[in-house]
Amino acid sequence: MKTILRKELVFFTALFCIGIAQAQITVSGTVSDAAGPLPGANIVVKGTNNGAQTDFDGNYTLSGVAEDAVLVFSYIGFKNQEIPVNGQSTIDVTLQEDTQALDEVVVVGYGTLKKKEITSAVASVKAKDFNQGGARSPMDLVQGKVAGLNITRTQGNNPNSGASIQLRGVTSLKGTRSPLVVIDGIPGGNLDLLQQDDIESIDVLKDGSAAAIYGTRGNAGVILITTKKGKAGDPRFEYNTYFQREFVDEKPDYLSASEFRDLISQGVISEDQDFGYNVDLYDELIDKQNLSQYHNFSASGGSEKSNYRASLYYNDANGIAKENGREQFGGRVNFNQRGLQDRLHLQVNMAANFNKANLLGGGYELTDRGDWDKTTGSDFEQAIQRNPTAPVYNEDGSFYETEGYNNYNPLSRLAHRKLERDQQTFSGDARLTLDIIDGLSASAFGSYVRNTYNTRHYRSTKDWDQIRNYQGTGYASKFNYLNWSKTFETTINYNKTFGDHTIAALAGYSYQYSTTETFNAYNNGFTNDGFMDWDLGSGDALYNDQRPNPGMGSFKEDNRLIAFFGRVNYSFMDKYFAQVILRREGSSRFGANHKWGNFPAASVGWAISEEDFMSNIPEISNLKLRIGYGVTGNQGIPNYQSLVSLSTGGVYPQYGTFYQTYGARRNPNPDLRWEEKKEWNFGLDFGVLDNRISGSLDVYNRLTTDLLYDYFAQQPSFVHDRIYTNVGSLRNKGVEIVISATPIQKDDFSWNVDFAANSQINELEQLSNDVFNANWLEFAGLPSPGNLGPAIRLEEGGAVGNFYGKRFAGFTDDGKWLFYKADGSTGLASEMNENDLTVIGNGVPKYQASLNNTLTYKNFDLTIFFRGKFDFDILNTKDMYFGNKKWLPNNLLKSAVTTHDQLDDDPQYSDYYIEKGDFVKLDNITLGYNFDLKTKYIRNMRVYITGRNIATFTGYSGIDPELEDTGFEPGIDSRGFYPRTKSWTIGLNVGF
Amino acid sequence: MKKYIKRTIFILTIGLFGIHGCTDLDEDLYSEITKDSFYSSKLEVLQAALRPMTHMQAWLAPTGGNGYYYHSELSSDQLAWPQKGRHGYDGGDHFRQHYHTWTSNEGRMRSAWTTMWGGVGYVNAAIEDISAIEDPAALEMTQEEIESILAELYVLRAFHYMKIMELWGNVPVVTEIAQGAPTNPSTQSREEVFEYVKTELETYVPQLPKYSADLVGRTTQTAGYAMLSELYLNAEKWVGTPMWDECIAACDKIISGEAGGINGTPKLADDLEETFANTNKSAPESLYQIAYSHKAGFTFDWAGFFLGYTNMQEVLNIDYSGWNAFVVVPTAYDAYDENDLRKKDWFLFGPQYKYGTEEPVLGTEEWNGQPLVYVNSIRRESEGDMTSEGSMAEGEENSGARFNKYKSGMVGDENYRENHYILYRLTEIYFNKAEALMRKNGGTATQEAVDLVNASRQRAFSAEDWADEQYTAATLTMDELLAERGREFIFEGKRRTDLIRFDKYVSGTWWDHQPTNDPNKEIYPIPSNQLANNPNLEQNPGY
Repeated sequence: MKTILRKELVFFTALFCIGIAQAQITVSGTVSDAAGPLPGANIVVKGTNNGAQTDFDGNYTLSGVAEDAVLVFSYIGFKNQEIPVNGQSTIDVTLQEDTQALDEVVVVGYGTLKKKEITSAVASVKAKDFNQGGARSPMDLVQGKVAGLNITRTQGNNPNSGASIQLRGVTSLKGTRSPLVVIDGIPGGNLDLLQQDDIESIDVLKDGSAAAIYGTRGNAGVILITTKKGKAGDPRFEYNTYFQREFVDEKPDYLSASEFRDLISQGVISEDQDFGYNVDLYDELIDKQNLSQYHNFSASGGSEKSNYRASLYYNDANGIAKENGREQFGGRVNFNQRGLQDRLHLQVNMAANFNKANLLGGGYELTDRGDWDKTTGSDFEQAIQRNPTAPVYNEDGSFYETEGYNNYNPLSRLAHRKLERDQQTFSGDARLTLDIIDGLSASAFGSYVRNTYNTRHYRSTKDWDQIRNYQGTGYASKFNYLNWSKTFETTINYNKTFGDHTIAALAGYSYQYSTTETFNAYNNGFTNDGFMDWDLGSGDALYNDQRPNPGMGSFKEDNRLIAFFGRVNYSFMDKYFAQVILRREGSSRFGANHKWGNFPAASVGWAISEEDFMSNIPEISNLKLRIGYGVTGNQGIPNYQSLVSLSTGGVYPQYGTFYQTYGARRNPNPDLRWEEKKEWNFGLDFGVLDNRISGSLDVYNRLTTDLLYDYFAQQPSFVHDRIYTNVGSLRNKGVEIVISATPIQKDDFSWNVDFAANSQINELEQLSNDVFNANWLEFAGLPSPGNLGPAIRLEEGGAVGNFYGKRFAGFTDDGKWLFYKADGSTGLASEMNENDLTVIGNGVPKYQASLNNTLTYKNFDLTIFFRGKFDFDILNTKDMYFGNKKWLPNNLLKSAVTTHDQLDDDPQYSDYYIEKGDFVKLDNITLGYNFDLKTKYIRNMRVYITGRNIATFTGYSGIDPELEDTGFEPGIDSRGFYPRTKSWTIGLNVGF
Repeated sequence: MKKYIKRTIFILTIGLFGIHGCTDLDEDLYSEITKDSFYSSKLEVLQAALRPMTHMQAWLAPTGGNGYYYHSELSSDQLAWPQKGRHGYDGGDHFRQHYHTWTSNEGRMRSAWTTMWGGVGYVNAAIEDISAIEDPAALEMTQEEIESILAELYVLRAFHYMKIMELWGNVPVVTEIAQGAPTNPSTQSREEVFEYVKTELETYVPQLPKYSADLVGRTTQTAGYAMLSELYLNAEKWVGTPMWDECIAACDKIISGEAGGINGTPKLADDLEETFANTNKSAPESLYQIAYSHKAGFTFDWAGFFLGYTNMQEVLNIDYSGWNAFVVVPTAYDAYDENDLRKKDWFLFGPQYKYGTEEPVLGTEEWNGQPLVYVNSIRRESEGDMTSEGSMAEGEENSGARFNKYKSGMVGDENYRENHYILYRLTEIYFNKAEALMRKNGGTATQEAVDLVNASRQRAFSAEDWADEQYTAATLTMDELLAERGREFIFEGKRRTDLIRFDKYVSGTWWDHQPTNDPNKEIYPIPSNQLANNPNLEQNPGY
């Protein structure tokens, strides 16, 4: 033992001696670009992990540099520069901007390509270009940034609502319609695990020739999210924080108590409707003190051989509605190590999110298993329609209920109910890569993602529903959810350049297993509210059959995806590029005869500007043509649809005792197969005037065939009325254009403009084949009261999102509706039938555009971001129901006694309520300042203020024209809603 | 070196792709089961055989579905679902039923078609599986038990076809289920369907067990002969062949007790409530019933169609509420004499009070904040219209008398909501026999027919009134028989069949309904989406 110790001592001493044997100096200097000093540029002594970063003035100091060392200067967007020290103590460097940005790396799935090598339609957004301010979801960061990627938040900043995401239009009837999200290589990654400051880039595979590498799940596009990783260099800390408050954007125009009384005095409303109070229920539901905060603290560092990044965050998101929020914390760790003579590389990522959501505010809907389903906005429907003279409380302090159909006191619910979700999400992955020989490497990747939550719901003994329907006892339910998936993938890469030819090849295998389990239980008969849902067994409904039955449920399902895939990229003289992809994939979900599918793709690119003949046109700095064709699939339907099985059908007595009955679960379809999309993409990238103006244009035409749908089954002889099968086709066509320009570029002032726009048409080409025929599909059934029928019809040969209904022909003398009959005559509502309905509008925006301006002046920067959607219609159901005097004795919108005063008939759905929805929003305005601190402790510091959804320019008469515009039920402004907000954020970023 | 590399690549390839070797995509089931793991006992055989019953209630009982019941009642002269202000327009669906102006594109008719054929599917699937049981002994069953269960299913299937034929006339007859590919069966004429139903019933009804307390809710001989009685009674109308004697014989099988009964021979209820009470699982009149039990988790929930909003909870002291949907049309309510006890017992009418008090329950819509009073009119009385006949478009929350035939009891009652839904009861057999006797007699009552009808009518009148109210051979005309059928069987889902048999369905006038005089309306159109999907279906004439 002693001997060993001594040996080690000698060894280390020797090392030390060698260390000081070389002559070392300190080097300092300034790094700048054409415009001036560059803060934050990296300087590393080549071959070591000795490095430094420039301060705000572009100055650096690097000690312990060998006299014969070589310094490497780097900065994002600039070309690296290597300078031998040669004993100099001052080295000033001017970095050359990588103007073409064509060496920028783009993530394409199972690897990266340089931008210039891209031959398909791929968009890449780096962190510096993300939308600024507080993001409720990572997708908010790129809203409006990617042409053709539609991100809509119909509930504004409700922290418990998601964004609907759709790329290049709707591509499936019942299959998945939102893009596959891949986080650091994990397909189907969980967005909860991402915080805005942990994301490095978001890349979008738009067309089939790009998405085919994720074949089976590529139809709706693929979004690849890359997180920040460890980097060699000095240990660094980053702290990012913001505070945000929401303000109501626009209030619906309902009658105030005094206006309501005016109508009573005019005899429009009967006198007994004055309850003597003045209440603005809408204001009562608003949390005016809402404040959201966010803190993210990260540390990174390490050597070239092993490095790390770890971040921790805390976020408390408060919505504009009372009892509506989400508090979360968690972290993300990345660790990388190289070894075995630099041949073996291990990357490990782990991320966790713990959140607790208060889901009560705004009104809610539960699933039939007792899970929270969504915020419905029904509380705010009450805010419009509740009699404004009715008190909130009775004299004894209990809540006052306005009795009536679809009436409730939302403040009573907020006080007497509890609805919370407690969620934990974890993700871990590891990738081991071995460089076998030069250019050939193999890697194995495994990941495990686990999402689990518990939803608790309690209605107290004082709750109005409990008083009426549960004999005044409490009701409690719990719902547990667990989903986990494991992925294992192996790949082999081969990259080689032979003279002018460069080849990059990839082959791989992928296995993914995913399962979901749920458990729920509910009980009632709680005579004391003290336990709430924490002593579920104490509810006496378990033993008292005079109470509504208690109950429980559980469920499990799983599925597997297995794939073999390959990709070859070839380039010749950096002028001609080609890419071929093939993925063969099998899903357990499909019929025994159709488990496997092939998804091929090919694309080519031609860098025209690299041709000799282009050198005569120096104005054109970049011109590249891309053509791609790819086949992708969709498997996003429920499990087990091809199988024969039995399930319960309710109880029925056998000899006096009730037993479950069992019958056919579904109409099985052993021929169920992939939905398949074939897509052509033509693209042109361009840059002129030294890329002062650059951009790209993409045109696509995609046809999705074998649409998965639960079609109407022929009865007889099918047991059930629907069968999951493949019928029909959808076509999407569109144009996308992106332009970036720098109109002004001066020493201390610059102005950048980014413009993105797209136009898109969706048509259902076919809904039938020789086996199954459907005339049309109906969507968006209008709610009770009235149940005025489905608002939207999708017909063969028709556009997606067509409003289908009656045509307004005027009012009778006594204010009754008149509509056109099919033969051109007019009739009352009671005389209308199916044949009198027709297409009366369309809710899908045909054009979308965004315009971003970034201005910098000295240390200030200003971003002004506009976003708009054009050429679509909105069905204003708020006006249809609340803007009608027949809605009395409920409260009304003012339009009932102004615009629609002539109307004296019950609500009817017709083109009378269809309005143009076109709008432009000033969506983001951010002013930032970068401090110029003369301290060695702080590397960089920035403060900013952001306003979001600041102004909306529209002719639409309702509250907000930005409504759901993805899927098949676009353009419906529902009665219930969650208030849209303007939000203001103050943020700070510090690096030290 | 080259060799080394090659070997490495080989090993890696095998290692990377081969370690799984896993290309297995078979599915594992957790929350559903395969047939292989079922049919292992008599209990399970019956669990499959009774699946059609829990499904049948959805289209046959007034439990809110758009099935046989909805169409049978709303196209007839007793019940309507008028628009009540902002409520109940429902795409104009109920208007078109009332006016007989439906098209082949009615959503609710599509549902009726799919639910009823779904029922046929459940029966066919059960027959297919149970017929395939090769060794009953392994299930501790005898071959006779299997055959008895199959007979029950054959009769149940024939019943489905009889009801499908009533609505649509000409339809396919299928006895197998489709698996994957559709079979697209062809339309058969009403005569062929009738013949199928008749043959099946005549073959299998005698093989059924006799009704007994043990078999409550099952398809037994009393159910089977009641079906035959209905089939024979309507045979002349449906296929032009009078079958009065066959009808009488089928009725006699039941009346005599030969077909069994819940407690011995079936007998008429003594009062107006017994058959519909929450203890009616053993109602002595019952011949066939859907066996519900609130305690067991299967509630006969008529509230959707028949009950008002939550304010009615206080009236009846119950904890459920409805859609304020169906109301009694004024002419149907007027059809009861004032001294007819049914007029009070089976309806909610007039001012509604909180249970056990004189404290009025208040309205919430047109009569918001004012006492809720059900009136025998469907017009805008809240707007001052006290005289017009009203219309389907002019209902209010308090329009029309309301259903109170079945009574759930109050919260806290021992049998709260334990009601069964009675499909056939002895009174109907009496009426069927009486009608067959009269029709056989050229449309004139015989004393036997008069006695049969009086037997149940007597319940509806006090002893003092009875002398004036009982029928005689002179007063019991065919029209009077139809009217009395209406009064006795209101809310029981049978009115359309009766009106058609008496040729009043397309020629009659009632309240807001004018006759179409179009005999094609006696059957409904085949839903257009089914026609589009199955090229072998034929549309009915006139559509």
